[in-house]
Amino acid sequence: MTLTKQVLAPADLQDPATFSAGIPHGAFAEMRARPTLSWTPPSGGDRTGFWSVTRHAPVSEVSRDTDLYSSAVGHIQIYDIDEDALSARASMIDLDPPVHTRLRRLVSSAFTPRHVQSYETAVRARIAERLDALMQAGGGNWVEAVAAPIPIGVICDIMGVPESDHDYMIELTDHLVAGTSSKPLEAGAYGNTTDLRLLPFNSPAAHGINEYARALGERRRAEPADDLITKLIEAEVDGERLTDAEFTNFFRLMVFAGNETTRASMAHLALHLVDFADQFERLRSDPSLMDQAVEEVIRYSSPILYFRRTLTRDTVLQDTPLRAGDKVVMWYAAANFDEEVFDEPLRFDVTRPLRPPNVAFGGGGAHFCLGAPLARLELAVLIEAILSRGIDLRLAGDPVYVDSNFVNGIEHLEVEVG
Amino acid sequence: MSADLVRVAVDSERCIGGGQCEMLEPEVFLVDDDEAISSVIGSGELPRDRADVVVHRCPGAAISIVEPQRPSE
Repeated sequence: MTLTKQVLAPADLQDPATFSAGIPHGAFAEMRARPTLSWTPPSGGDRTGFWSVTRHAPVSEVSRDTDLYSSAVGHIQIYDIDEDALSARASMIDLDPPVHTRLRRLVSSAFTPRHVQSYETAVRARIAERLDALMQAGGGNWVEAVAAPIPIGVICDIMGVPESDHDYMIELTDHLVAGTSSKPLEAGAYGNTTDLRLLPFNSPAAHGINEYARALGERRRAEPADDLITKLIEAEVDGERLTDAEFTNFFRLMVFAGNETTRASMAHLALHLVDFADQFERLRSDPSLMDQAVEEVIRYSSPILYFRRTLTRDTVLQDTPLRAGDKVVMWYAAANFDEEVFDEPLRFDVTRPLRPPNVAFGGGGAHFCLGAPLARLELAVLIEAILSRGIDLRLAGDPVYVDSNFVNGIEHLEVEVG
Repeated sequence: MSADLVRVAVDSERCIGGGQCEMLEPEVFLVDDDEAISSVIGSGELPRDRADVVVHRCPGAAISIVEPQRPSE
C-alpha cells in the first residue's frame, strides 16, 4: 500500500503537547473529512504505527465488535507493552468476552441506574459540603475544591475506602495519569520495587495503589463489610476466588475510572458555566432539560480521549484495508464532534437530542462505561446544586490541562464565586 | 397481541448489566442483583416505539424485538 500525505494524521497524537489546550478540534475535523482512516507511522520504541478512527459510526462499529477488535491483544493504549507486562496489569478493561464479562458481572449490579439512585443522598451531601466551602472562601482552585474530591469520595464510599484515605487515593491516581505524560517519574516512589514496565501507565503510583488494595483486602477478609472490596474478596469466578493480581488490578481500575473521568467532566463544567452561561439560564428555567444538559457536558468534555483496539483478522473499515495485528485508535473526543451526527458540534446546546448518543462512555458493546449511570447522577446533582445556590462563577486564570494524550483533564482552574 | 405491540428479548450472553432497559421499562425488564443480567419479566410486550428506544439504548446490544408471527388467514 502506498501511503500518501492525505492519509497521515495531521498532528502528533502521541505527544501530550498536542492536547495541552484541550481537544485539537482542527486536526480532528480534518481527519473526519477524509474518506479513509488516518495513519500515524511508528515512533519511539513502538514497532507498529496506528490507525485513527475519528467518525462516530466507525467508533461504534469498532466498540461493538470485540471479536474483531480485541482489547486483550496488544494494549488498550497506543504504546506497545510486552506480553508479561500485559498479563501483570490485566483487569477487565484489557480483556475480551467471555472472561471480561464474568469479571464485570461481579460489580455491575452496584452501578445500574436503579442501584445508583440509592447513592443520591450521599452524593448530594458531599456536593453541598464542597460548594458551601468554596462559596465561603470566595473562590479557589475549582479542581481541588470541587472536581477532584467529589468523585473520589463517591467511588471510595462504594468501594469501602475509609474517608481518612480519600486524599491519599487522589494523590495516587494523580500520579497514575502523570505516567501517561512526558513528566519524569521516580521509579522507587511509594516504596515501589516492581519493574516499571509491568505497572499500569508505567507508574510507581500503581504499586502504591496495589499495596493499599492488598492491605484493605486483608482487613475485609478478617472483617467483612457491605462494600465492593468485600464483594471482590469473597467473589468466585468459575468456582475460583480472584487471584491477588486480579483483585488489586480490579481495585485500581475502579478507583481510577470512577475518579479521573468524572473529575475531568466536573472540571470542564466550570468552563461551560462561564462560556455558555445562557445555556445554563435556559436549564434553570426548564429543569426538564437536565438529562440533555448532563449529556452535553459529557460530550463537550470527552474526558477519555481514546482507547485502542488491535485487529484479530484482516478487515476493511471506512474504506481502509486493515490487517491482523494493526492498532486501531478510537478517538472519542473526535467522534463526539462529528458534524454528520451533531449539528454545529462546537455549539454547546442543552436542548441537543439524546439520540444518537455521544461516545464519551464508549461506542457501546461489552466495554461501555460501567460507571456511566453514576457519573450522570453526580453531574446532575452538581449542576442542580450550583443553579439552586445561584452560584455566579468567574474564571480567575486560564485552565491548566493535564499533560496527557489519554485523559482530557484539567489540573488547575482558579475561580471566583459570588 | 395487538398490532402495535411487539415482544422484546434479552440475549443473556451479550448483556453487560448496564440497566438502561430496567430504568426505561421497569415493568418489562429486571436486572438480577447478584448476576447483573437483565431478563424479561411478564409478557415482555411493549409498544413498538418504546421497544425501539430500549433496543437502541442498550449498550451491550443485547435486546432485540421478536417479530410477531402473523396469524395465518
